[in-house]
Amino acid sequence: MRDALPIAGTGLLRSYLRQVARDHRRALVGIVVLHGAAAAAGLVVPWLVGDLVAAATGGGENATIDRLAAVIAACLIAQTILTRYARLRSAVFGEVVLARLREDFVDEALTLPIGVVESAGTGDLLTRTSRDVDTLGWSVRFAVPETVVALVTAVCTIVAALLVGGWVAVPLVLGVPVLWLATRWYLKRARDGYIREHASYSQINATLAETVEGARTVEALGLGDQRRERIDADIAESYAAESYTRRLRTVFFPAVEIGYLIPVAGTLLFGGWLMAEGSITLAELTAAVLYVRFLIDPVDRLLNWMDTLQVGATSLARLLGVAEVPDDRVASGRTPAGEEIELDAVRFSYVEGREVLHGVDLELTAGERLAVVGPSGAGKSTIGRLIAGIQGPTRGAVTLGGVGVTELELDDLRRRVALLTQEHHVFVGTVRDNLQLALESPGGTDDDRLWAALDAVDAREWVGHLPHGLDTMVGSGGHRLTDAQAQHLALARVVLTDPHTLVLDEATSLIDPRAARALERSLSAVLEGRTVVAIAHRLYTAHDADRVAVVEDGEISELGSHDELVARGGSYAALWKSWQS
Amino acid sequence: MTWIFRVQGWTLIGAIAFGIVWMVAQATIPAVIGAAIDAVVDDGFGTSLLLWTGVLLVIGGVQATAGIMRHRLAVQTWLDAAYRTVQLVSTHAGRLGSELNRRVAHGEVVSVGATDIANLGNAVDVMGRFVGSIVAYLVVAAILLEASPTLGLVVLIGVPLLMLATGPLLRHLNRRNQHARALQGELNTLASDIVAGLRVLRGIGGEAMFDRRYRAASQDVKRAGVQVARVQSYLDAFQVLLPGAFVVLVVWLGARFAASGQITPGDLIAFYGYATFLMLPLRTFTEAANKLIRGHVSARHITRILGIVPSVTDPVAPVSPPDGDLVDAPTGTVVRQGLLTALVSDDPRDVVALADRLGGYPAPGGDVDAVTYGGVPLGAVARDELRRRIVVNDTGSALFSGRLRDALDVRHATTDAEIERAVASASAGDVLETLTDGLDAELAERGRSLSGGQRQRVVLARALLTEADVLVLVEPTSAVDSHTEARIAGRLRTHRAGRTTIVTSSSPLVLDVADEVVFLSGGRVAARGKHHHLMTTDSRYRQVLTREEAEDVA
Repeated sequence: MRDALPIAGTGLLRSYLRQVARDHRRALVGIVVLHGAAAAAGLVVPWLVGDLVAAATGGGENATIDRLAAVIAACLIAQTILTRYARLRSAVFGEVVLARLREDFVDEALTLPIGVVESAGTGDLLTRTSRDVDTLGWSVRFAVPETVVALVTAVCTIVAALLVGGWVAVPLVLGVPVLWLATRWYLKRARDGYIREHASYSQINATLAETVEGARTVEALGLGDQRRERIDADIAESYAAESYTRRLRTVFFPAVEIGYLIPVAGTLLFGGWLMAEGSITLAELTAAVLYVRFLIDPVDRLLNWMDTLQVGATSLARLLGVAEVPDDRVASGRTPAGEEIELDAVRFSYVEGREVLHGVDLELTAGERLAVVGPSGAGKSTIGRLIAGIQGPTRGAVTLGGVGVTELELDDLRRRVALLTQEHHVFVGTVRDNLQLALESPGGTDDDRLWAALDAVDAREWVGHLPHGLDTMVGSGGHRLTDAQAQHLALARVVLTDPHTLVLDEATSLIDPRAARALERSLSAVLEGRTVVAIAHRLYTAHDADRVAVVEDGEISELGSHDELVARGGSYAALWKSWQS
Repeated sequence: MTWIFRVQGWTLIGAIAFGIVWMVAQATIPAVIGAAIDAVVDDGFGTSLLLWTGVLLVIGGVQATAGIMRHRLAVQTWLDAAYRTVQLVSTHAGRLGSELNRRVAHGEVVSVGATDIANLGNAVDVMGRFVGSIVAYLVVAAILLEASPTLGLVVLIGVPLLMLATGPLLRHLNRRNQHARALQGELNTLASDIVAGLRVLRGIGGEAMFDRRYRAASQDVKRAGVQVARVQSYLDAFQVLLPGAFVVLVVWLGARFAASGQITPGDLIAFYGYATFLMLPLRTFTEAANKLIRGHVSARHITRILGIVPSVTDPVAPVSPPDGDLVDAPTGTVVRQGLLTALVSDDPRDVVALADRLGGYPAPGGDVDAVTYGGVPLGAVARDELRRRIVVNDTGSALFSGRLRDALDVRHATTDAEIERAVASASAGDVLETLTDGLDAELAERGRSLSGGQRQRVVLARALLTEADVLVLVEPTSAVDSHTEARIAGRLRTHRAGRTTIVTSSSPLVLDVADEVVFLSGGRVAARGKHHHLMTTDSRYRQVLTREEAEDVA
């Protein structure tokens, strides 16, 4: 039933990386050159150590030894300085690329069609915004520079070893098959293994969080055993995933260690033979052995970062995937002529084949107040969402002044039609941020306008009492607001954006009845002069409205004023009677 | 922490033993290579070169084997520590119940799963390498001192000094890292906030502003990251310079000694090898120190959570109360056995507190014995029996992920027919219809795959299925529409016929079916009787209800 958000394919991934490389070509070249120079400076050392050994055994003079040691020291200083700049450059580059990536991602996420987000679950998107951004950050900050350094160092080391003598290629090549096969085998399986492993820990965390948050229910209903079974099952899955990756490593690690050792042993034997033959000197043998051993470290790092890189690439694919969701609206540039809203033979289904609205016709005149009532799941909220243009109808048309609501730019649409639901969310930020978020130029709003809006919804008093007034931090981690206060902010926002049509989807149903009295006053100030569609489950709303629409089974079954419907004796009348009794 | 070390016993010892073999094998490789080169110098290409190369391969094999065994056992200890901890905390949370939610923040307990288990695991995981490093360090020390006391001392004292030298820089780096991580955390919060509020945002607009805010915060993180990189780049450079300088020193001295014949060329190469090798055990020391400290902090955190004991404990001599009336002393409420009683108050907080008290959940500092059931104070009833016989279904009742059947049938003794009857009573049949697999459908985490109204009805069906002697339902229909509410009220009455049921609600549809309505005013019982009766005779009661309705405009 859930359709996960898409994940970018290899092609898109490659073309994105190519684009990044093109955009930052100079920085990239600079980084590779610096790293190469640093590695080269470092690699002179084993060579010189070889000379040093030769000088020492040749009963060489202390002066020669001292001179060689001084040259080694100079190389070292050069390597140190080059390394510093190479690392700094690559880290800065990484930060720049990361920032660009996550910003592009949030950009895309913000314009995702809401239907897609809902059917995939917010959880998926949340994981991408937090975990995938973090994982990618880890990859770009550590794995990418380490890999670059290791790669450059390895290449330089091989070149240096071959400069000592072409014969070194023979033992080096001996190690390649083992390493190649082992790595290929491992990488093919590692990625999925580690993804499964990570997922299993998320599952453990989710189960634990559920138990902790619902601790009272667990204890009250004696669900302790059930919860224990669940966490044990999660642990078993996690153990299975861990065991799998551990098996992979059990093969991979020893294989590569042997792979590293073969060239060293080969160099010793082959070089020893060559030296005994008189073809090479002791210095050459020493330098060769040292280079070959030296090579182990960069190669090992290279192989070890491979799977981190892979995981990073997966995260990148998940971030880029969001861009693949097609937009659910195209702005046509047409401007509505008037404020009338019309629903014409509207059909809608969230999931293909399961229609929730079966042909709804409705005309709203400007300034009218319409109450929508009916049983849960009949399609009331869907009608509200279609009027507010959250989604377009599957068939039929929803028009505002003759223009389809989804043909309008989102920002423009919101200045005309707003939707308030029982779901309210206080965004992290100041009260001011929360009020201004829907305005065109947030900087340009003066405080007087904000206070006037707060006044209109009766919220001036409590905002004034907040520790820092408009600058008080609210939302997760900030000053806690009650549901009623959160709703006040939402209403004040409506006053500020001033839409001519307002859809209220049980906007006050979760609020404590005592707080509702103050809210009612606020609301009437906000509703004045606007077209209002109120979806309600308490019937007093219907009583006060100009017209009532009873929605049953995806259709409007009754439509008329309260008195007309009561007189008609249909399902509305029956309900009203039981409510009145 | 000690407990974890103890329960792991042999696995941990094994990990340590293999850690020692692994490290020592690595430590001896430079010596073997040195000996092999000496063999070439002395004998040319002969048996002794072959022999040393053979030794090299054998030691390499030993190193690889011991390395992987150590790794396997270390992973085992890591997992063992992590899993045991999760099990303990989870079980404890279930046992503590509401007490837990009141005494610690959720985040604090949940962070056990997110960070603490990893810290504990890392602490036990590093043990094998830690002990191995100590032994390897000592072995190398012995070899070096034996070959050349002067050089040996230089290496043995020099290497720890190098580690210390990077200390201040590391601390500096840690500070900047923390700053960067904090900013990254804020950025993630902002992003999560946007995603969580996306639906609301789409209703009222404001995407563009959030985009700008995120970009600004993201650029801050970038700048902090560059700050970290600046320090980190110095550290990276130092990590080249310091060991390098040390190697130069060792090689230079070694070459002079070799020239004067004090040591062989092979020794010199081996010294070079040791100087580079010793960085590994030393890095392990710092790593182990860090991980053990963190593990210790996490262990303290976990013990603190595990140390929370319930404030209401089982009585020494539990009494099993007969099914009878429930009497609450503070308000003077009497709930009669076998009837459907509704609670209404001029202050909604009073009914919530009363409902909790009736279920044996006294307010913090309150007295559990304030309520008697069948004449027995609740404090005298065993907790298990109390929870089985009196069930409170409050608005915070949680739904858990898993099969719908398991979510409903918490007592495991129910037939499908009974489940269906409860589902029908709670008017939750439509939930079953929308789920493709009916009772076997999987619910998402916290029941999120259901709408608010659906969740409330599933929770109600679950409460009905407990078949408790006393069922306390707090606002059971607050999130459903009037049509459904009327249906539920009627069916609830039939379903619980003959058994004590308490409902708090302000909806006339629910109050109308109650056998008796108890009206609290100022925290005391002010009136009782049928809803109709109270509506016509009690003006305060009428005020409370009509006021609430009139306010409900949307």
